[in-house]
Amino acid sequence: MSNRISTILAFVIAVIMFVAAWFFMQSGDGASAPARAEAPVAAPKEVPIDSTRCVASTEWMKSHHMQLLNQWRHDSVREGNRTYATPDGRHFDKSLNTCLGCHASNPMFCFMCHEYANVKPTCWNCHISPMEATK
Amino acid sequence: MKKVLIPFVMVAVLVAIPYVGVTAGGQAYLFGVIVPYTAAAIFLLGFLYRMIDWLKRPVPFRITTTAGQEKTLDWIPYNRIDSPATPMQAWVRILLEVFFFRSLFRNTKAELREGPSFTFASSKWLWMGGLAFHWSLLVIVLRHTRFFFAELPGFVQPIEVADRFMELTLPAFYLTDALVLAAITFLFVRRLRDVKLSVISLPTDYFPLLLIGSIAVAGVLMRYVDKVDIMTVKALTMNLAQFSFDPVPGDIGPIFYVHLFLVSVLMAYIPFSKLMHMGGIFLSPTRNLCNNSREKRHVNPWNKPIKFRTYAEYEDEFREKMKKAKLPLEKE
Repeated sequence: MSNRISTILAFVIAVIMFVAAWFFMQSGDGASAPARAEAPVAAPKEVPIDSTRCVASTEWMKSHHMQLLNQWRHDSVREGNRTYATPDGRHFDKSLNTCLGCHASNPMFCFMCHEYANVKPTCWNCHISPMEATK
Repeated sequence: MKKVLIPFVMVAVLVAIPYVGVTAGGQAYLFGVIVPYTAAAIFLLGFLYRMIDWLKRPVPFRITTTAGQEKTLDWIPYNRIDSPATPMQAWVRILLEVFFFRSLFRNTKAELREGPSFTFASSKWLWMGGLAFHWSLLVIVLRHTRFFFAELPGFVQPIEVADRFMELTLPAFYLTDALVLAAITFLFVRRLRDVKLSVISLPTDYFPLLLIGSIAVAGVLMRYVDKVDIMTVKALTMNLAQFSFDPVPGDIGPIFYVHLFLVSVLMAYIPFSKLMHMGGIFLSPTRNLCNNSREKRHVNPWNKPIKFRTYAEYEDEFREKMKKAKLPLEKE
């Protein structure tokens, strides 16, 4: 009796997991129409790009860079808004190249910490990583 | 309600100790190095002591509980897991118990209904809550190996990827973080809500739940809300993994020390508490003994030797007298 119930329950759980997996896979591309930016708008020329200092403090960037990058990706790819204004009035192009403009001088810049902490970012799924670019 | 309040206050004090100690007292070395080592030592030695103590206890007889047909004649099929005939099959039963909590799956609920009628029904909530809780804890512990190895052990990476496959937030949201908090909340509320359960619940039931819950909350806060410097944390944990007594390699937020201190308390608490069920489950005589009482005679090893006297000896002694009395003899 309990054997039969456990078989049935296992089957039900398997079905639910299958449906859930399918749902999650679908919700990525099929569920909602992909948002399209009108046309990529380049940073207006008159905006001075100041890259002598980073967009935010080192402390903040250490803990929040992934959120900033994610926000930039969303803004530039989905909304077409490519200019980032810091609270103190400086302007930056919302692009990974803005970061790499300075930080690519050390091709290991991202990897030193990420390898050490065993954190695998998804950036290099699409972008060419600085480590590969200098090869 | 004192039974809940006391553990609650205890956990609150345990949270406050490292927080005050690190922010006001500057005792980062104490809470970052000394306390974890001490706790790990207590855990290891205490765990070993308990297990060896339990392993030494003799279990001469089969007191296995059976839930299936015992092995008998060849043409009668028997239940290999619920009535194991060999130690191997008993081990399968143990492992299924450890990984899937089959005993809890049989949980029934007794209810007095209108009528009045007394009913029994299958109740799977405890089984599901327990399963979600323990499996989440296992995945979380495995994920933490990233702090103690230079490179992730191979099998952890797929687990980690599966755990954050929803890619909801940044840093990636871990499914088990939510699961463990939901499950522990359920297990806690379950004890409070049911009158029968709350009567038999003790402070030692609530304390580990609150402690583990606080550890999980501190960890979640560190990851998603009040972030700590991972690089320093990793440097510290790598030091700990290498048994080094170097000073803490930098400033880490106090919430990390709260997390670490609560984990230390948990580790030190395990050998003295019900949490020893993590080792004890392997020694449950009702689970790990095969049901072979009819196949093999089990003798209690400390029984005094009994002097048996066979009928043949009896006859030898009284043969002449029995002959005279004309009693039948087996041997002339």
